[in-house]
Amino acid sequence: MSASESVTVDSDTYWPADVDAEEAIVTNWFVQPGTQVQEGDLLGEIQVEKVAIEVTATTTGEVTALLVDEDAAFERGEPLLSIAPRTDE
Amino acid sequence: MERMYEDMVTARRYEERLQEEYLEGKQPSFDISAGPIPGELHLAAGHEASGVGVCHHLTDDDTVTAPHRPHHIAIAKGVDLKRMTAEIFGRKTGLAKAKGGHMHLYDSDAGFACSGIIAEGCPPAVGAGLAAKKRNSDAVAVAFLGEGAIDQGAFFESLNFASVHELPVVFVIEDNDWAISMPKERVTDVSDGSQRAGGFEMPGQRVDTDDAVAIYEAAGKAIARARDGNGPTLLEVQVHRRMGHFMGDPQTYRSEDDVADAQTRDSIERLKSDLRDHGATSNDLTAIETAAADRVDEAIAWAKDQPAPSPDDAYTDVFTSPPRGVADQAEAPSQGGDD
Amino acid sequence: MSQQDVAERELTMSRAMTDAIAHEMRADEDVFYMGEDVADYGGIFDSTQGLLDEFGRDRIMDVPISETAYVGAAVGAAMEGMRPIAELMFVDFFGVGMDQIYNFMAKNTYMSGGEVSVPMVLTAGVGGTYNDAAQHSQTLYGTFAHLPGMKVVVPSTAYDAKGLMHNAIRDDDPVVYLFHKRLMGIGWMPAPDGPKTPVPDDPYVLPFGEADVKREGSDVTIVTLGLHVHRALTAAEQLATDGISAEVVDLRSLVPLDTETILDSVRKTGNLLVVDEDYRSYGVTSEVIARVAEHDPSLVTSVDRLAVPDVPIPYAREMEDEVIPDATDIVASIESMDL
Repeated sequence: MSASESVTVDSDTYWPADVDAEEAIVTNWFVQPGTQVQEGDLLGEIQVEKVAIEVTATTTGEVTALLVDEDAAFERGEPLLSIAPRTDE
Repeated sequence: MERMYEDMVTARRYEERLQEEYLEGKQPSFDISAGPIPGELHLAAGHEASGVGVCHHLTDDDTVTAPHRPHHIAIAKGVDLKRMTAEIFGRKTGLAKAKGGHMHLYDSDAGFACSGIIAEGCPPAVGAGLAAKKRNSDAVAVAFLGEGAIDQGAFFESLNFASVHELPVVFVIEDNDWAISMPKERVTDVSDGSQRAGGFEMPGQRVDTDDAVAIYEAAGKAIARARDGNGPTLLEVQVHRRMGHFMGDPQTYRSEDDVADAQTRDSIERLKSDLRDHGATSNDLTAIETAAADRVDEAIAWAKDQPAPSPDDAYTDVFTSPPRGVADQAEAPSQGGDD
Repeated sequence: MSQQDVAERELTMSRAMTDAIAHEMRADEDVFYMGEDVADYGGIFDSTQGLLDEFGRDRIMDVPISETAYVGAAVGAAMEGMRPIAELMFVDFFGVGMDQIYNFMAKNTYMSGGEVSVPMVLTAGVGGTYNDAAQHSQTLYGTFAHLPGMKVVVPSTAYDAKGLMHNAIRDDDPVVYLFHKRLMGIGWMPAPDGPKTPVPDDPYVLPFGEADVKREGSDVTIVTLGLHVHRALTAAEQLATDGISAEVVDLRSLVPLDTETILDSVRKTGNLLVVDEDYRSYGVTSEVIARVAEHDPSLVTSVDRLAVPDVPIPYAREMEDEVIPDATDIVASIESMDL
């Protein structure tokens, strides 16, 4: 099956509404490049201030790259990972 | 009432006979290691009204936990008397294969368990109530405790837990005035333990009269309340302790008057006189008493005829699904070389 | 190990635990979880994250700060055939409910001669390394392993955690499941690399009494558990650069204890270091060494142990770091052995 262009997953998607902070860290990745995921699958966790947020897949496909390392900080809006979407047979 | 009388007389006879059996070989000087009944023995002569007054509202599906003075409650709850007696005599065919003894009698068919840590029977009774509520059954749980138990943390925690979760539990305090040698007023501030319910949004009631019928009425209300899903109740019932705390207790702390007074307050005599008022004849009553005595004697004779456990039995029944290792401790440790 | 064509999904240890719990709760109405702050908070150490949404307050129950009552209630409910999981927020809190744990949960099966089972799980957060001082940092592995009647397991990875949890819930005996706070993968207490592993979606059971060789080696055996599995692995990496090949044996299960795997390893290496985060005297390190010695003391040339010394765990970082062994201590201990 050929993958179409990778789609990046943007950290802004997961930012909690009432939090002012513009920086967060990735606390855990549960996938790596090559992991097959379904839309809604748990990919990892980020922590914004004291709040832990789940990062779930916005699309079905294959993880192509983790763009922020575990335990590393990132700014709101930065992309977190990329997924090559797959149209399921 | 006749059924109550029957169980009361059975319980009284049972305790008297056990006392005889227990003291065998222990006189003139009390040696706890001598005689046919191992360990300590806490007899409930004088408590009979409480056992029948409460338990005669219960079925096998209802769960009762009792403290270390349990025989009258076990009898009223329908525990297998022969196997209970065998357990007390430390025989292999006892309720717990002689691993529990008189303070740890378990009969799941009859919904009964007792234990020897003061007040700690309350939390598991609360748990049985919790299970009943989760399963939407109308079973209730009853925790018996002595008046000396109402100062223990487990008691307060259990009242709170049962109350906040509205569980079908009835707590029954058997007040016999004495916690071993400590009279009630020396250790507790309240003369009526049922008042402690007030701190827990739960009704409390005390029955003062050491009267089986009065206890039956009060217990009936509490148990119905629980069955209807309206939550727990705290009852306190006055009973009296006709014998020492445990067999061998010289009761030097008790005045002679107090002991004599206990002897006069006999709930069995009271019920007997009630039955007469309701038309029971001497023959009727004697028939019940004789049947009770026979049943007790038969149970004791049967128990004494049962085989002793073997020493190796000590290693089994630690777990329901035994892992390796525990039973291995019965074997000599292996020495040297490769396995 | 076979090559994986497709990268597998990994989970933190806490998610692996809740994965197993959720599966068992879906499969069996009788399974429920009770503890302090387990509902909305999801457990202080993430032990019930996400479960409230699926199962509701009836089955993910917040309880009052009342260990005697709620652990005892779990015992009572288990004796009625339910399968509760009761949580001690910190294992250090066992003290306030210990009677229900070691005298009731652990002994009811035996004291009833095998008549009753107590199919419950007692989970507890254990461990230090984050300066929570003496009353909130203990592991107490030895205390629970020492007292008869309870199975005791200690996972060190997500994979192990899920398999052990499935088994713990399904087992008909009381299982004490001790999860190390630092291994859970909590945002505010980051885990080392190591506990987060691939975890199969489907349920699976890890048997009790099976240790796991987490790293093979030939010069020295390190027997350990919990957090110190990861510290030992770090030490082994360091030792390898010094030409020392260390084998790391993760006990996973204290009761039952896998003596065979320990013996197999020391037979191979001839040298033993036991590393424990519990107090030194009369605990896990003593037990492992004793088992080797009673089997065949000639199997080992060098023997040493690292544990928390017999002091309460201190507050200040310098002191806590001093008393809890780390990878550097493990390396130092082995390098001073005559291998």
